[in-house]
Amino acid sequence: MVNKLILSNVLHRPIRTAVSVLAVAIEVAMVILVVGLCHGLVSDSARRVEGVGADILVRPPGASFMLGLGEAPMPVAIGQRLAELPRVLAVAPAIIHVNSQESLDLIYGIDLPSFNAVSGGFVYHAGGPFQEPYDMLVDDIYANGHRVKVGTTINVLNHDFRVCGIVEHGKGARRFIQLATLQDLTGSHDKATTFFVKCTDPAYTDEVANKIKAWLEGYNILPIKEYMSLMTSNNIPGLNYFITVMIALAVGIGFLVIFLSMYTTITERTREIGILKSLGASKTYIISVILREATFLTAIGVIAGFMGAVILRKVMGGIFPTLPVEMTWDWRLYAACLALMGSILGSFYPALRAAQLDPVDALAYE
Amino acid sequence: MEPIISVKSLTKNYRLGKVDVPALRGVDLVVQEGEFVAVVGPSGCGKSTLLHILGGLTGPSDGQVCIDGNDFRLMTDADRTRFRRHKIGFVFQRFNLLPTLSARDNIAIAQHIQGNGFNPHRFEAITRMLGIEKKLHHRPFALSGGEQQRVAIARAVICEPKILLADEPTGNLDTENSQVVLDMLRELNRTFRQTVLMITHNPEAAGIANRVIHMRDGRIISD
Ligand SMILES: Nc1ncnc2c1ncn2[C@@H]1O[C@H](COP(=O)(O)OP(=O)(O)OP(=O)(O)O)[C@@H](O)[C@H]1O
Ligand SMILES: [Mg+2]
Repeated sequence: MVNKLILSNVLHRPIRTAVSVLAVAIEVAMVILVVGLCHGLVSDSARRVEGVGADILVRPPGASFMLGLGEAPMPVAIGQRLAELPRVLAVAPAIIHVNSQESLDLIYGIDLPSFNAVSGGFVYHAGGPFQEPYDMLVDDIYANGHRVKVGTTINVLNHDFRVCGIVEHGKGARRFIQLATLQDLTGSHDKATTFFVKCTDPAYTDEVANKIKAWLEGYNILPIKEYMSLMTSNNIPGLNYFITVMIALAVGIGFLVIFLSMYTTITERTREIGILKSLGASKTYIISVILREATFLTAIGVIAGFMGAVILRKVMGGIFPTLPVEMTWDWRLYAACLALMGSILGSFYPALRAAQLDPVDALAYE
Repeated sequence: MEPIISVKSLTKNYRLGKVDVPALRGVDLVVQEGEFVAVVGPSGCGKSTLLHILGGLTGPSDGQVCIDGNDFRLMTDADRTRFRRHKIGFVFQRFNLLPTLSARDNIAIAQHIQGNGFNPHRFEAITRMLGIEKKLHHRPFALSGGEQQRVAIARAVICEPKILLADEPTGNLDTENSQVVLDMLRELNRTFRQTVLMITHNPEAAGIANRVIHMRDGRIISD
């Protein structure tokens, strides 16, 4: 019966209903997409680093676990010494360059033979390995997203590079140039910012890592497993804070719209509340009618938000194919719970006010 | 026999800013079960206030009110709400139906609030008697004033209240519809021994009651 009352109220005021549902949908979609994008970016980049195939990352002292950030270069010679350690199969020196020109994308400067030795070699969708100093390899996702073909010119660090090959994605960066070229362009001759170390067998990872630690004291030596566990949005400075702020904003919007919607509703329905009271409806009954209506609106909004997030992700994926949005059911559930809590909180005060209305005054209300 | 309504020296003051406005200045009233009482008197003499107090919509300022064994002095707000839910049916001048619900649901919601669930026999008997069984799926705006008031009466009596309180039930109706509504009230009083208290300005309406109370300035001046 209360459901009928709620449904009829909701249908009776279609615009109010639509606006409330839309606000909750925006709230839910925003939480899902923001969280999904942040998590997606982090885990995608982590997975790509894992995809290089190294067992250990060796980086200079003080390096953040995020590749490419604030790294002082190390002499390439260290790499040669690392390769001579027992149980080490191959070492690939690289400069990881943060290209802020367009989005947040990393460019690896690599020495192709050693990188291949660590990673097992690129799979070429088109073209082939570097021929000239200003040749560039791009992965298939980048190529699709930017409509790049073999032969296309791409400007990086004020130099035109020619795309010489398109490779299967998943090995570190989306774009690769030759280590020597990047060294020239960044004025760091014979230097590298990261060594990818591959052991003869992954089982030797800890043994080798300890050996390197003993030798290169103070250097940042991370077995890849440890690196993966560090690469969550929780560990990235500011990201968690950003996520929290975005969630708070989204929940705030939902809360305010539901609050306003229920508040105006009870003002508009003062007489109806008086009627319910004259029939003997208790405070609990009135509160439950209002809260259930808010919950109902929120539930529709949550479903609309889920669908909106899926559609938006499709649309965004079409425009920016390199943006990975990770949508997990955990976070969908979390977004739904947040929206519900916001709505119940937002409608609680209006519900309480409605319950406390004086029945005689409410019945006399015009 | 114990009277169903027993009121002694009932006063009610409304507070308007700093002054107390006396609406009832000492009302004594005894009503037996099954009576049909009409309350008449000039505008502002306190008729509605008396009805609201008897129905537990508002509390008395002073005096004794005892209805069907419930002493109002011992009751909290929540107690009065429960009392109203089980013992009182209201009919208002302005019908006061829920505009978004059909006639059927307007009646059914009273049963739902009371908590005893839908009783199809009672529902059918009442709607047939009030002649609204063909209008049940209409919403209030699609009903005439007379039909709306009959739905309101059905809603008021569906839970078999001890007392039906009607505040100018014919005030918004033309003579023809007024007559129908009055006939219904009398019928309820006769067939179900429904105790009715009805406020009216209309002497004809008062005529159908078996007892008429005259009020003036917050007092009962003749009975
Ligand atoms: N909520 C209120 N606040 C202040 N004064 C009120 C309130 N309700 C009623 N009064 C005053 O109490 C007095 C009695 O009012 P009441 O509504 O009981 O009269 P009534 O006999 O029903 O009049 P009418 O025939 O016009 O309906 C009036 O003087 C009125 O102004
Ligand atoms: Mg009145």
